Amino acid sequence: MESERIALKARNVSFSWEDTPLHWVPGDPFTTHTINVLHLLLPAGERWFVHVYEQALPLIEDDRLREDVIGFIGQEAMHSQSHDEVLPHLREQGLDPTPYTAQVDWFFEKLLGDRTLPPGRARRWWLLERVALIAAIEHYTAFLGDWVLGAAELDRRGADPTMLDLLRWHGAEEVEHRSVAFDLFTHLDGSYRRRARTWASAFSALLFLWQRGVRFFMANDPTLTGAKASFKDFYDRGRAGVLPGTGAMLRSIPRYLGRDYHPSHEFSTAQAVAYLSASPAALAARRAERSPKGAA
Amino acid sequence: MPKPLTVALFAGAALLTRSALRRRVQVSPLWPMPALETPVSGRPRSRTLRLLLTAHETIADGVVQLRLEGAELPRWTPGAHLDLVLPSGLVRQYSLCGDPEDTSSYTVATRLVEDGRGGSREVHERLAEGMELEVRGPRNRFPLAEARSYVFVAGGIGITPVLPMLRALPEGAAWRLLYCGRTRASMPFLDEVRELAGDRLTLVARDEDGRPDLDALFASVAPGTAVYCCGPEGLMEAVAERVPEGAALHLERFAPGAPADGDAAFEVELRRSGRTVEVPADSTVLAAVRRELPGTVHSCEQGFCGTCRQRVLEGEVEHRDELLTDAERADSMLICVSRARGERLVLDL
Repeated sequence: MESERIALKARNVSFSWEDTPLHWVPGDPFTTHTINVLHLLLPAGERWFVHVYEQALPLIEDDRLREDVIGFIGQEAMHSQSHDEVLPHLREQGLDPTPYTAQVDWFFEKLLGDRTLPPGRARRWWLLERVALIAAIEHYTAFLGDWVLGAAELDRRGADPTMLDLLRWHGAEEVEHRSVAFDLFTHLDGSYRRRARTWASAFSALLFLWQRGVRFFMANDPTLTGAKASFKDFYDRGRAGVLPGTGAMLRSIPRYLGRDYHPSHEFSTAQAVAYLSASPAALAARRAERSPKGAA
Repeated sequence: MPKPLTVALFAGAALLTRSALRRRVQVSPLWPMPALETPVSGRPRSRTLRLLLTAHETIADGVVQLRLEGAELPRWTPGAHLDLVLPSGLVRQYSLCGDPEDTSSYTVATRLVEDGRGGSREVHERLAEGMELEVRGPRNRFPLAEARSYVFVAGGIGITPVLPMLRALPEGAAWRLLYCGRTRASMPFLDEVRELAGDRLTLVARDEDGRPDLDALFASVAPGTAVYCCGPEGLMEAVAERVPEGAALHLERFAPGAPADGDAAFEVELRRSGRTVEVPADSTVLAAVRRELPGTVHSCEQGFCGTCRQRVLEGEVEHRDELLTDAERADSMLICVSRARGERLVLDL
């Protein structure tokens, strides 16, 4: 099992988007927008992770796990903010994402938010259900993170370096902390039925939100007319290596549902850490770890 | 075995539903999910901007005015300031003194502080036109409130947040301005202030007129007056002593950071746990709190991730984070970097 223990810590990255074109995978709006859906889902989604985990913290009885969860919260908060900063850039280029993101906000803040439940069993059940949902989603964020770290075809096609750095920095941190969500779920509950049930909900929700996000982008892109998104487009680009392959995605399902699943058996920490030590944004963040600054 | 008729009916219904759904989705790919009325995503809280320095000019003795240009800059309200990240990495805050409606440029002015901590020297000597600067904000912690009448007291470069306020006051508002400085030549924006204020202005240059007569200024201040003061510490203390009851005092320190010789120690009461901890000058609130409550959450320890945010029950906070909005700063702080402005804070911990 390849899991050298790494202390998780948020990195203070920042990206500037002025030079990123609307179609940052040149000449391929479908790929661009399929990946762009991340910027629609992650700001609200990762804010929700943080919100749920802050409630789960007092239930943790293992100090090491608590430290990991705290590091996870910090990293997720930075992911959420970094993707959020792409949205105004899309708006400046004539593609206002607000109609869609307002729905995602509703999805995470209301539908999956805190419900008025009596303290005790009901409240704990809802919290555990959400912790399990996050574990299932994190299986896919790590899958996507690992994929984007190795997606050399995007470089070959001249994709925007800043966007690739955002995706790979984020992907690398997802791979780095891939075990935390599952460990927390196992620590608090770990029931197989809950894992299978929440996997089904998370997977269908992701599929539903994602295809709708791509349709939304394709329909509202000011430079496209009558553009359509189809599953075939996705399948073809998966084969070409600019999007995750359909086969690889299908194969990851039984792995998560396997009784002996543990995220540390999947993916490579080494590849993630290697990227983080070379990522322009992560390097800049390390350089800027400046002495405590007073504002004057 | 189901009857063929039932099967046909079900298949027909399924097909009709499918085409109806398709048609609906074609009209809007966003049907039928509800949306949050005030969306949260896509409105980053403190955006870092890279702006081009297009003017760097001396507008009074020891005062330099900077003009930073960009596209579609956020609007601001009078009293707001900007965080300027200088090439050395120092972060300094300067009041905006241009036009709040101008979304293509920001204007700030700064005085050279000879024995300061290096920020103003860097602005005066190392910045030049054509450079690109990183900027955060704008934020406002000195906003113009609605009041029956206003008294403004500005000391030297302290005129910068006041100037946009004067321009924004409604016609016919009752206000007075005391503008003081060392010499007339060292006081920026004199002409414009004279023009705006007319006979509501009391101008005091120390080399000609001596010290300002604050007692006379506050002798006739009615209740319901808002007093805005920005200037050197001594001036603000003198004003604070004289503001009569019933008047609201608003102060803006242009060096909200630590004194030049470092931070001071203070104490923090953790109300829910019933404990009090000392925060030494060279340590953080977070470190002190963690000695008592080791499980206190935190992550970046640099004031950007927001994990360590805590609710403040009493005491004035000197915010040094890069994250919280003004509304959030009203009742919370990031304990990894922010400190007490006074000698004591009470946290909901």
